[in-house]
Amino acid sequence: MAVSRRVITTAAALCFATAAVFAQNPAPRTGPRTVNAPPKPTGTMPRAADGHPDLTGVWNGLGDNLNGVPNQIANNGIAIESETVARDLHSGQMVTVFPRLNNRPQNNEQAERAAALLRRSGSNRPIYKPEYWDMVKYNDHNANEEDPSNNCMPAGVPRGAIPSYIAQFPNHVMFVYPGQGGLIATQTMYRMIPTDGRKHTPLQELDGTYTGESIAHWDGDTLVVDSWGFNANTWFDQIGGYMHGENMHVIERFRRDGNTLTWTATVEDPDYLLEPWTTTPRVALLNPRPDAMLPESQPCSERDLAHIVTKEHH
Amino acid sequence: MTSAIRATFVCALVGICAVTPALAQGTPERAKVLRAAADALGMGRWSDIGGANTRLPGIDIVNTMELQGSGTSDMGGRQVKTEFHIALGYNPVAARIELTRTPDGGAAQHVIQTVRDTYAWNESEVGAGLVSGKGVATPAMAAVRERLLQVWMLPYGVVKAAYAAGDKAVVSTEAGATVITVPLSGQLAGITLKATLDAKNLINKVEARADNPALANLACTVEYSNYADHAEVLTDVQTPGRIVAKEGGRTVLDMTVKTWETNNPYLVFPVPPNVKAAPASTTSR
Repeated sequence: MAVSRRVITTAAALCFATAAVFAQNPAPRTGPRTVNAPPKPTGTMPRAADGHPDLTGVWNGLGDNLNGVPNQIANNGIAIESETVARDLHSGQMVTVFPRLNNRPQNNEQAERAAALLRRSGSNRPIYKPEYWDMVKYNDHNANEEDPSNNCMPAGVPRGAIPSYIAQFPNHVMFVYPGQGGLIATQTMYRMIPTDGRKHTPLQELDGTYTGESIAHWDGDTLVVDSWGFNANTWFDQIGGYMHGENMHVIERFRRDGNTLTWTATVEDPDYLLEPWTTTPRVALLNPRPDAMLPESQPCSERDLAHIVTKEHH
Repeated sequence: MTSAIRATFVCALVGICAVTPALAQGTPERAKVLRAAADALGMGRWSDIGGANTRLPGIDIVNTMELQGSGTSDMGGRQVKTEFHIALGYNPVAARIELTRTPDGGAAQHVIQTVRDTYAWNESEVGAGLVSGKGVATPAMAAVRERLLQVWMLPYGVVKAAYAAGDKAVVSTEAGATVITVPLSGQLAGITLKATLDAKNLINKVEARADNPALANLACTVEYSNYADHAEVLTDVQTPGRIVAKEGGRTVLDMTVKTWETNNPYLVFPVPPNVKAAPASTTSR
């Protein structure tokens, strides 16, 4: 167990280091960030020749993890706005802040238990039909074995969230999600999404896939990506055991303001959910270096699972 | 220096001198005690993920919890054998309390009492009333305060309430033990909690006192002991292994905890449409 945890943590550290070197994150800060509230936009928003916002770029400017979005606490909806104020972004409820009392780093066990708690403490949870409540709880409780992404499967949609790279063309956009080999053991994923006005293929004619069939259109300055035709082999968030069925329908919204990209997704699944669920918005920062490149994906080869002997999460 | 400026300066100095003792003796002491109580329970955690780039403070990680236990509870003035299954949360504040009571020589009786924010209802099965044809949810609005109070009287609720109360939370010493006194607000305005800490800063007793005679029926005392991490997914959150509740000195609940999952498990408390539509005066309990 301890070896397994060390492997995971070491791999995570290597991932961070790799991302830092190859993605050329700017990180021009004078010291570590003590807040993780979504970044405020700066700069102007470039527009493509057709007048729409140009989303092209490497969206990992925060450099805290491979997706470049703020620390995973914020990903799960609790923003630390200052050293005394934290807020649940979904409910608005204030969350008590506890200043660190010393500079000692946590050991692996402490760090992983803390991470597991932090990532699950937010209030924004999908409301499943009651007959699935125990199953969702079981999935999360046994996530080490049950999470499809722990076995090198694609994260899928909407779990992939903000792509690390977007290329925008006149009639389609290209999303790239580098795999997170050592950290979360997901596979590299890409999506080629038409913006040419085409309609969905009827659902019954589609074979379910990990990323489904996506089409996109502009709603003002917001890119709206509409997807269906999924398989049921993914969970729709990093935590929680949030399974879904093949009738899942996801609507993602991408809005660029200056150097920030805000993403939300609304999940509809009439087979599983009591009501549609909308994620807490995530905000990514554009890598400001024009020569920023994505690193090679870490190969995904799950080797730890067989050695995990408790249900503790990572 | 003009006399006006001098007077202002003197007033300011007097003001500072008057405030300083309170700051030195009151606020820091309260902060220290609350932090010690929170740390003893394991409520504050910080993330070291991305440690090279971030140094985030800790936050309160207690939201949803699920515990199971066995013991006795009050039924018509008698203590009867009871199995407990309790799901609760603090964001939103909610609880689903399942009791299976087996009186001597009688058949087991199963009740599910639920509360969320300003709504209370009883469920014929977990999640009743949310899907057409799946169980019955019976509004029980008169029980809102009583059920919410059970959530706030847990050690985590006391600490959360004390932090939220700010200056209104008072720290003192009684019979050599540290005591936190917290007035509740919202639905529970008029109720004051008094929590006693043991030598390890763990809350071992919480008393609910009604400042308003109309709420006198809510006065009670709950004792907590045998703290440990009782979860299958270990989190280092310390939870009581035994809970004893008393009203007027009489034991009304005595539970030995079997498991207490603290890893913010998936527990949700959607309010059924018929409960939302029910008038606040519904008296069923």
